[in-house]
Amino acid sequence: MADQILYAGRQLLDRQIATSEGRSVGKVDDLEIDLDQPGGPVVAALLTGQIALGARFRGRLSVWVTSIAQRLRASGDLEPRRLDIRLVSSVAATVTLRVPHGDLPPADLEAWLAEHFIGRIPGA
Amino acid sequence: MKKLLQIALGVLTAIGGFVDIGDFVTSAVVGARFGMSLAWAILVGTLGIVVYAEMSGRVAALTKRAVFDVVRERLGVRFAMANLFSAYFINLLTLTAELAGVAIAIELATSVNYLLWVPIVGLVVWLVVWKLPFEVMENAFGMLGLCLLVFIIALWQLGPDWSGMLDHASHPTVPQGEGHPTWWYYAIGLFGAAMTPYEVFFFSSGAVEERWGRQDLITNRLNVFVGFPLGAAISLSIMACSALVLGPLHVEVSHVSQVGLPIALALGKLGVAAMLVGFFAATFGASLETLLSAGYTFAQYFGWTWGKAASRPREASRFQTVLLISLFAAMALALTTIDPVKVTEYSVVLSAAALPLTYFPILVIANDRGYMGDKANGWFSNTIATGYLVIIVAVTLVTLPLMIATKAGM
Repeated sequence: MADQILYAGRQLLDRQIATSEGRSVGKVDDLEIDLDQPGGPVVAALLTGQIALGARFRGRLSVWVTSIAQRLRASGDLEPRRLDIRLVSSVAATVTLRVPHGDLPPADLEAWLAEHFIGRIPGA
Repeated sequence: MKKLLQIALGVLTAIGGFVDIGDFVTSAVVGARFGMSLAWAILVGTLGIVVYAEMSGRVAALTKRAVFDVVRERLGVRFAMANLFSAYFINLLTLTAELAGVAIAIELATSVNYLLWVPIVGLVVWLVVWKLPFEVMENAFGMLGLCLLVFIIALWQLGPDWSGMLDHASHPTVPQGEGHPTWWYYAIGLFGAAMTPYEVFFFSSGAVEERWGRQDLITNRLNVFVGFPLGAAISLSIMACSALVLGPLHVEVSHVSQVGLPIALALGKLGVAAMLVGFFAATFGASLETLLSAGYTFAQYFGWTWGKAASRPREASRFQTVLLISLFAAMALALTTIDPVKVTEYSVVLSAAALPLTYFPILVIANDRGYMGDKANGWFSNTIATGYLVIIVAVTLVTLPLMIATKAGM
């Protein structure tokens, strides 16, 4: 991973992120870049989820996508979901993480729907 | 031996699965009105879906990624969002038509109005995607869909002038009393019915679900190269039956039952029964496919968990929510007593208009050697696929003007 040359815009952005056992985590919706590194800017984290995605649209669509996500946050903050770059084990057609599904906090919308809607249907 | 059986099953499912209410209705409407003069549009559309479905299956086998996943990566986040909404809307129209189709099949067998069957059909469809073993259902409905082969037998029984029909089909002319724009409008409808995007969404997602790899490329090719053209043969025979029996009587097909008249004439009650079973299975199977495709497009755009990756529905709660909302919306639309034949016609024409945003990214990624290695497209598939891209862009540009000019084929 360390010595691979990547074009962040083309080979990271919009790729699927999966856990070590292949479960979907989300898309690489945005990147956090650390500008203060001695060797030049480096990717510090992958940002995923609707808050990160909403910021990439303009106008009303952006507000709409972001505000849905914000409402579902228990804390109501606007920080996007962040996956430290050190969690990434490989970047190919899919960005694979080192950790299994159970080690990551679930996505807000997934958790909310599982608790309030889908989880209440028999057989869920 | 087991492998062989599996391949045969896949091919048979592809035959039954190719025909849905879009092909069924459009072929019959066109046959009655334009004879065989638009048979070429079915052939052109079928070659197109064969080329692009093969690519989408190959991409899925090698990269483990389904079509909508690829769409976002290659089109960028905004264009893919536009595609998501247009594909979803068309999918919803198609789902509405398929649900109504299943209900009409039951109405024809029971004489109870189809609107009463719509909620029941919706419930059963939901139960299948919620809990039942999906592959079993898919194969069962694909096999039952083979009952539609009865149209080929009926055509044989009707004993048409084969050479005259072939001549008519190979030297297409616009029938008297019909305008050129209307003729082209229906050509686009047939093309759209064959190339409906949900077919590649579903096909590629299925390939990812079944964990296809390199060794499955042969299965992919057989399904697509054998199954789809045989499916198209059913569409052609529906068109021919309709042209032979309904055309001379000047019947304007406005109800599904009229499609079965040639069968009744040629084969009697048993033939009609087989047709009803086939139509029921084809539309029920297509209801499952369009409903799941609605979920797949959303889940693959946003990167959600979908399908078997979740061992229980609650682990894919976002995906399941999209399925439920879509199913309710389609049922509600069907219950407005909206004409199912009209919904079908609109859905196939609008499908044709939205094709490039789905098919262009498939072509691009099938050429990406970084992903595909030695299985990237060769010059032959690229020539055909690029030719089709030109056709579908042209179709997109003319569809809406033609729709307005002809008042949707009036």
